[in-house]
Amino acid sequence: MGLEVDIIFKIAGVGIVVAFLHTVLDQVGKKEYAQWVTLFGFIYILFQVASIVDDLFQKIKSVFLYQ
Amino acid sequence: MIKLIGAVFIIVATTWIGFEISRRFSERPRQLRALRTALQSLEAEIMYGHTPLHEAARRLAEQLSKPLSTFFESFSKKLTDTETTVKEAWETSLREIWNSTALKQGEFEVMKQFGETLGRHDRISQQKHIMLTLTHLEREEADAIQAQVTYEKMVKSLGFLSGLLLIILLF
Amino acid sequence: MWMTSSKKLNQYFYINRRGGPKIEIIKIVGIALVATFLALIVKEQKPNFAFLLIVFVGCVIFLFLVDKIYEIIHMLEKLAVNAKVNMVYIETILKIIGIAYIAEFATQITKDAGQGALSSKIELAGKIIILAMAIPILTVLIETIIKLIPS
Repeated sequence: MGLEVDIIFKIAGVGIVVAFLHTVLDQVGKKEYAQWVTLFGFIYILFQVASIVDDLFQKIKSVFLYQ
Repeated sequence: MIKLIGAVFIIVATTWIGFEISRRFSERPRQLRALRTALQSLEAEIMYGHTPLHEAARRLAEQLSKPLSTFFESFSKKLTDTETTVKEAWETSLREIWNSTALKQGEFEVMKQFGETLGRHDRISQQKHIMLTLTHLEREEADAIQAQVTYEKMVKSLGFLSGLLLIILLF
Repeated sequence: MWMTSSKKLNQYFYINRRGGPKIEIIKIVGIALVATFLALIVKEQKPNFAFLLIVFVGCVIFLFLVDKIYEIIHMLEKLAVNAKVNMVYIETILKIIGIAYIAEFATQITKDAGQGALSSKIELAGKIIILAMAIPILTVLIETIIKLIPS
């Protein structure tokens, strides 16, 4: 339980920081770097979420379907 | 607890790096301006004071602050102590101090060119060469001010934010 | 007779007491609230991240509940075994419930992300698969009925 609360805060934190980085880089003019940073942050978080969704589906399989 | 100390350490380190890089951007116009003042005083000394080169350089070294003072000091020392030409002494002293300044390759070329014309021609053409170098440096200074305005704040915030990102990722 | 059953009840509660059921609902509600607030903040800047966050928290809450669900299902299974019902039926019913849950989860997520078309397709897929799974039972039912009708 505690471990997963940590991950929630991690996701929110990465989201906010990536938003700031995006704004700062945009203002300077390096729009492509901003887009890259956002994309990579998004992919990283996507990996976390995908792994937990996979966990979820495995558990559902084991509880409901007994296979 | 150790984690917290490590996290604070990482943030401080990256913020400091950001500040260092932004300092480079803010030092460049200042040093360019100091260089221009130095050249103007050199011109005044040569034209109206008729002082020899190493004496003028020594006086300039006393007036300026680091790192330009080190430059003129080593230049005048080379002229008095060793038997090199003005051009070589100028160039070697230039190379010696260049890494400790915030100036870039453009100014280096300009100063090198200037060094090649030192002490060769009469006073009028010397003055003209000095004016030419001054104009070049002025243009570089305008460039530097523009770069500073754009990049200074950005690099500082970039440093801090990347530190934050790193500790959030590693947490 | 009810004395022995109440003793068994006490036994069960004693085994399952892990800090009391009340505290766990507060934990879940707490996590959900924290996630909502964080998502509010993040949604202003980057709506995509808020969406990912909400998906994640949904999964976490459900994962937390899975244990309890397992206990309920276990109890239902034991009841069914005691009532001498064929295991196949219970399994099919449970699989159908599982499929229904997964499909609902997916449609909610896609609807949240704004993909209404995709969510209705997923619903349709869930319904069809459930129907396909139920076909053997329906077949048996129809055969039984036909056997009962003398013809």
